[in-house]
Amino acid sequence: MSVRRTSPAVYVGLALVALLSLAPLLYMARVSLGKGGGLPVAPADWFGQPLSLEHYRDLFSGGPMARFTVNSIVVTGIAVPLQILMSAAAGHALARVRFVGRGVFLALATAFLILPRQVTLVPLYLLMAWMGLLDTYAALILPHLADPFGVLFMAHYYQTMSPELEEAARTDGWSSRAIFWRIVLPLSGPGLAVVGVNGFLITWNAFLHPLVLTTSESMRTLPVGLALFAQSEHSVNWGALLAGSSVATAPVLLAFAFFQRQIVEGVLKGSSR
Amino acid sequence: MRARRAPSPGLAPWLFFFAVLGIFPLLYALALSFLSYNPLRPDLVRWVGFDNYARALENPSFWRALRTTVIFVVGTLPVTLTLAYLVAALLASARRAQGFFRAAIFFPATLSMVVISLVFKSLYAEEGLLNGWLASAGLPRVHWLQDPSLALPSIMLMDVWASVGYYAILILAARKTLPDEQLEAARLEGISRLRVERKIVLPHVRPVLLFVVLLNTIRSFQIFIEPFVLTRGGPLESTLTLVYYLYERAFYHFQMGYASALAFLLLVLVGLILLVQRRLLGRGSAEAAA
Repeated sequence: MSVRRTSPAVYVGLALVALLSLAPLLYMARVSLGKGGGLPVAPADWFGQPLSLEHYRDLFSGGPMARFTVNSIVVTGIAVPLQILMSAAAGHALARVRFVGRGVFLALATAFLILPRQVTLVPLYLLMAWMGLLDTYAALILPHLADPFGVLFMAHYYQTMSPELEEAARTDGWSSRAIFWRIVLPLSGPGLAVVGVNGFLITWNAFLHPLVLTTSESMRTLPVGLALFAQSEHSVNWGALLAGSSVATAPVLLAFAFFQRQIVEGVLKGSSR
Repeated sequence: MRARRAPSPGLAPWLFFFAVLGIFPLLYALALSFLSYNPLRPDLVRWVGFDNYARALENPSFWRALRTTVIFVVGTLPVTLTLAYLVAALLASARRAQGFFRAAIFFPATLSMVVISLVFKSLYAEEGLLNGWLASAGLPRVHWLQDPSLALPSIMLMDVWASVGYYAILILAARKTLPDEQLEAARLEGISRLRVERKIVLPHVRPVLLFVVLLNTIRSFQIFIEPFVLTRGGPLESTLTLVYYLYERAFYHFQMGYASALAFLLLVLVGLILLVQRRLLGRGSAEAAA
């Protein structure tokens, strides 16, 4: 790009920023791998103290944290595939069919992207209570299915995808359903990856709605369980708490390692973090 | 493909959820904001008109929450924006290992805010790392989260850490749409790097910078996890945010109508910001990052 060489100062600066970004996470990992509930404060402690899996063993030996983890996995495991499928179906319908009211609908969905989600918190709570769904997996999953990002993203995605193949299949007498399942969906991988990984991050990290829509300890998701754990003010067990945080972070790190490009694309297209 | 009148059935499942769990709750919230409603005493429900709004606007806690938000925005935005711009500039000029640095710097943006808050809670703890450093420098301990004058700045510092990478990526993406030839030409003409930055790059990424301003402001109005995990809105309501206040009213005091009025005040505030933004800064800015 440039005839000049990159000055080494650039790399020193970047290394510093990268270290600052990752240091709190390395600290989290270090505390979680220590013994006891205290915090290693001096550098001698960070490196000198022996490593131990004590906190992770405690987490999963029948404690509530194991249950929180299972809840998070169940909720994300059900919500995200549904999100992906519905986004593809609805996005495709929006991109290919000019039906009456399509413009209004697109405007509404876009407005919902900007809408502060907290506005629907109270009514969702009352709605779930009325349906008898408080404290169930349904209450944790359903709100995620109304998020418009995936649909809008896929509508845009299909608009830039040529409809020729679909038209050819239609003239061959294929049904719309067959076209969708056997042609459209298999060609949508890159788009669906963006929707899926961003949906995963939002669902896995969700906090306010899961906090409000569950009441018993056994239905808490990992973020909610961790946050409430930290509030039992008497002697916080940092080791246990940050081990739980590490468990909450591991799948995110994994998703990031494999789908960094798709996450960035989602960010640029306005997925809500 | 030929235009058709009716939407295909593929739209139906999502449309159903969007209507029932998106549009309907929004209208429901609006209706609730005009009611006095405690779900534990459904027999006492009554229409109160704009009373909930009036009560919110008369309540010092509401204004304290608003004040907190303003302090938050004014305090974090210039710092975050400057740092994000600098980081993006650094990333852009690194020709080697750019991918690695970008990943390392962006990663915190994908983390749960609960996890970030817990890690910082441990750093800010009485016996935590920051106090450990102060002690080893012979300085007195600081009550980061218990001192009413320090709790909010402590949260703001965490927020800067958590958002710089995210915004740097947005700015970097905008920088990359600048044609290389243009920069090359400017450099061949011997224009200094700083001048290129000021005359070419900065105007080019301006729309994204404005978008970041907008995004950061709107997000600041919605902060909840940070005061929930770190301070419970205290001490002395110094970290009370609008959403935390709403949560407390709805789920500790069961004032569903009042909480819904707060929700709509939040909606109006965010709408106003979007409107002012459009007026002042041009309409391109909101779509710039899309």
